[in-house]
Amino acid sequence: MQTKRTFKYVAALSVGALALTACGGGGDNGGDTADGEMIINAHGIEPQNPLVPTNTNEVGGGHIVDAIFAGLVSYNTDGSTEMEVAESIESEDNVTWTVTLNDGWTFSDGSPVTANSFVDAWNYGSDPDNAQLSAYFFNAIEGANEEGNIEDGSDTLSGLEVIDDLTFEVTLKEPAADFPDRLGYSAYFPLPEVAFEDMEAFGEQPVSNGPYVLDEWNHDVDAKLSANPDYEGNRTPENDGLTFTFYTDPDAGYTDVQSGVLDVMDQVPPSAIETFQDDENLEAYTEDGSVNATITIPSSLEHFGEDEEGQLRRAAVSKAIDREAITSTIFDGTRTPSTDFSSPLMPDYSEDIPGAEVLEFDAEEAQDLWAQAEEMAPFEGSLQLSYNSDGAGNKEWVEAVTNQIRENLEIEVEPNPFATFAEFRELITNREIGTAFRTGWQPDYPSVYNYIAPVFGTGAGANDGDYSNADFDAALVSAASAEDEESRTEALTEAQAILMEDLPAIPLWNQDALAIAAQGVEGVQLNWQNQPEYHLITK
Amino acid sequence: MHNHTPRQGQERFVAPAVSSELPALHVDTSHPPESQWKQAWKALRRNWLFWFSASLLVIILFVVFFPNVLTSVDPRSADLSHSLGKPQAGHIFGFDRQGYDVFSRTIHGARASVIIGLLTTIIVTIIGLFTGALAGFFGGWLDTIVSRGADIFFAIPLLLAAIVGLSALNNVWPDRGYWGGVFAVVIALAVFGWPQITRIARGAVLEIKHLEFVDAARSLGASKWRNLFTHIIPNALPPVIVTATVSLGVYIVAEATLSFLGIGLPPSVVSWGNDIAAAQPQVRSGDNLHVLFFPAGALAITVLSFMLLGDAVRDALDPKARK
Amino acid sequence: MWRYIVRRLLQTIPVILGATLLIYALVFLQPGDPIVALFGEKPVSDAVRAELEAQYNLDQPFLIQWLLFLKGALVGDFGVSYSGQPVSELIGRTLPVTFQLAFMAMIIEAILGVIAGFYAGMRRGKIFDSTMLVVSLTVIAIPIFVLGFGLQLIFGVQLQWVPPTVGSDTSFTNLILPAVVLGLVSFAYVLRLTRTSVIENLTADHVRTARAHGVSDSLVNRRHVLRNSLIPVVTFLGADLGTLMAGAVVTEGIFNINGIGNLAYQAILRGENPTVVSVVTVMVLIYVVASLLVDLLYAALDPRIRYA
Repeated sequence: MQTKRTFKYVAALSVGALALTACGGGGDNGGDTADGEMIINAHGIEPQNPLVPTNTNEVGGGHIVDAIFAGLVSYNTDGSTEMEVAESIESEDNVTWTVTLNDGWTFSDGSPVTANSFVDAWNYGSDPDNAQLSAYFFNAIEGANEEGNIEDGSDTLSGLEVIDDLTFEVTLKEPAADFPDRLGYSAYFPLPEVAFEDMEAFGEQPVSNGPYVLDEWNHDVDAKLSANPDYEGNRTPENDGLTFTFYTDPDAGYTDVQSGVLDVMDQVPPSAIETFQDDENLEAYTEDGSVNATITIPSSLEHFGEDEEGQLRRAAVSKAIDREAITSTIFDGTRTPSTDFSSPLMPDYSEDIPGAEVLEFDAEEAQDLWAQAEEMAPFEGSLQLSYNSDGAGNKEWVEAVTNQIRENLEIEVEPNPFATFAEFRELITNREIGTAFRTGWQPDYPSVYNYIAPVFGTGAGANDGDYSNADFDAALVSAASAEDEESRTEALTEAQAILMEDLPAIPLWNQDALAIAAQGVEGVQLNWQNQPEYHLITK
Repeated sequence: MHNHTPRQGQERFVAPAVSSELPALHVDTSHPPESQWKQAWKALRRNWLFWFSASLLVIILFVVFFPNVLTSVDPRSADLSHSLGKPQAGHIFGFDRQGYDVFSRTIHGARASVIIGLLTTIIVTIIGLFTGALAGFFGGWLDTIVSRGADIFFAIPLLLAAIVGLSALNNVWPDRGYWGGVFAVVIALAVFGWPQITRIARGAVLEIKHLEFVDAARSLGASKWRNLFTHIIPNALPPVIVTATVSLGVYIVAEATLSFLGIGLPPSVVSWGNDIAAAQPQVRSGDNLHVLFFPAGALAITVLSFMLLGDAVRDALDPKARK
Repeated sequence: MWRYIVRRLLQTIPVILGATLLIYALVFLQPGDPIVALFGEKPVSDAVRAELEAQYNLDQPFLIQWLLFLKGALVGDFGVSYSGQPVSELIGRTLPVTFQLAFMAMIIEAILGVIAGFYAGMRRGKIFDSTMLVVSLTVIAIPIFVLGFGLQLIFGVQLQWVPPTVGSDTSFTNLILPAVVLGLVSFAYVLRLTRTSVIENLTADHVRTARAHGVSDSLVNRRHVLRNSLIPVVTFLGADLGTLMAGAVVTEGIFNINGIGNLAYQAILRGENPTVVSVVTVMVLIYVVASLLVDLLYAALDPRIRYA
């Protein structure tokens, strides 16, 4: 432990020195076209963790890690998967997968990308001694526990085996037809040999194989990336580099886009939602988005159990919410009312899910449903809706939703704020919250399956409401092992139909993907993860 | 021993006695001499500023205690179809983004906001004045203990302290309802706010205790405690009053900032701070600024009335400024 | 004098101990599990949790955590943030910026506040006095997150007199608008305090005596009225430095300044106790030094006060 600390200190000191020299350069305004190079200045957030792919689970570090690494597969703008470092990923039974790599990929230090680059990185990420934040992503692999850590007594995942320099084999615990689609997520990126010599130093100044390389990371100020000349993958940069300038307040970033200091920003602060589309100082982009918002009512909440009374009350609450009115006034049309539990962007999205009309506003029917439930057992006290108020804009919609339920069902409904996400999540995780609460999901890979399996499967990691339905679980299994696209979509639709009946969570809306760019910036395209494709931006 | 009998032969000069009448002096000895406080009250009564600010305050307090007399609209009844509606008949202040009636919100918001501002100021002023006066007056080890004790609380900046203090309170005191929510904010602000007054009061006392009239009082045999309450504290009051009246507004706004950061009052409590925080997006668009104007204006009027009252009280306490 | 300074410096030890203990207790009472926050929505295995708790002393009772912190702080080691950076480095990077900002704000509020307060007091009840009353009411009644935001839009975006945000370039021109915004509320205090003091001193005996002696009006005003009026103002300003540094939480966010207020606020949101406590400790130190300087300034302003 002691040695580890010392390493950390030394590593960070040298970077501090680097940052100082960088500042000493003076007059540098954050990477503009000083010597004719086209550097795109993008809104960023200071990464909260070292830039190790398996230890990056938030958006600030994610931007940089995604830009500097290339995985086995990459995602196209529409969310479809394309082989990148992998030549092929094949399986006969959806359990044992053989991964063959393309020859010729190198890291920016010149070392080759081999089967070991992946297997060692995954073992590192899964090892509980390394306490990596994205270990969860390895939980499907044999030898890992539910949290994705290597099970006791071993140094490596038993499901990973290197065949030769360009081939390795992955054995899963259960069949998963969509396994290759998951592999573009940052937790599955490869690491060069040099990383394992000193991971602390690597996290400050990573050596990578992606479209860009990291030149400088000036903590709390910016990260400067330049195009990787050796990169020959699917995401060849159209520009010469990216500079992520860090902000803590999105309003400040918005102001900088207005004045042209910043070229592109991947979000719009709540204060500008009303005006950004008409703002003459900038270009606005809106697309359908993949992040959804839901209200989870835990099955342990009195009167909301998994029985007929609970179903009636959940349906009543859902029908008492006028999603259209909230999305158009509170969000000025930047959210789209939900029609299912996923997003229309998903390749396996289905338009007509039986029972989806429960998501449509109907105050009279809501009252009627509630009255039916009242005959079974009278509801007393108030219904509370908890949320974290450090997330921008939560308060506004929670207030509007509770106002509508209160007025349409004529019961006491109160917003219940928590100051921080940490506090809010702790109570949910410990099952101590005792109220309905806001939830949301951003998929890790593009599939309806990823919206429902980890969230509503019996005992699943993100099943915060402790929902359990054997029919639903069975539908998930048949979706995961489906042979073709059609039967898979069918199984997923069946699973969603069960959810519509039980409403373990009440879908509200999907957040549109929003971005803004300064005048003269071109090529801003929003991908399935609601992020601009930074490598396509030019100016 | 000298004898001052005049020498023989020396002519004595005797000034002719001019009989001049002494001016009539009416000393009412049937009552003890009026205290500083009594004199101040007499002066206060003659000041129109006092009556003006006091009537403003009476109106504000009336709104705080009887909001329903002025509006029958439920401040929590929202209709999104009225979102950001302009002022109109029946809804003279218009509607905010949630579709609440702004007039009703401004009236009902007075209770939480004024109570937070007033209660925090009163607590802080009493503690601060007392500790500051004792420390400045007696000096020595008492001064050291009070001053350094105040440092411990005041060294942690108020806003940060209120943020951690309130979240800690959340933990030990959840589900506190309307009054609990209001008092939690008062507690968080008061615990870290009193040393400001302590410092000001101590400084003023240090300045005053060397002045002539204090020495005079002491040489006339006034006891230390009597001296403190009749001479020192009244004369140390002006800077304390000024600081307290400004702080009153600052505390009300601190609630707004805390609510803006998401840890002040819950949305179920109607307050000017919550409404000002919710109005922030209108600053960017520049449209519909009425949702900001009315709660902020109400806050400004409240602060104004306390400031003017503070001015009047200060004048009354300054014997030289009395006419 | 020197004995007084030494004694005061010795007295800061219990102040720092008390303040850090207080903040440690408050932070310890914070709800929320920082490890859950760290992992976002994903589950954490017990082995990993134990590893992280040991690394940040989270498994210790709070008094032991506090003592371990003090032990480290004594040798300048404030621990490591959850992002793996030494907290001392985080502070070293952010403190100078905030200090520069707070200092500029203080100069602005002190100069403008004293001048405006002086004239308002000299011409009490006249138009200038009333105008200043309205100005101070406005800056008090509208919170920084609204007022600062509005001024940024007007001067930064529309008029383009100053850059709207600061970022990495912390030059004087970049910091001037944030400094004004930061100093506004304190400006109201200084203005009101000076005004009252001036009114008070105008009728004071020594001022009347000086006038009776034929000393010119401007000299009386400067030497007697103004100088004596500064005492409560100085008291206020000395205590205000700390407020300015924390008040910078909101201002630093609006203008994207990488200062210590923002660092503390982000750390609170993330439950990064080592960072929160270390930042507050540094603020305490600054406050203690500032208040010592103020007490010494008293002596300079008021010859009757002497420190033995």
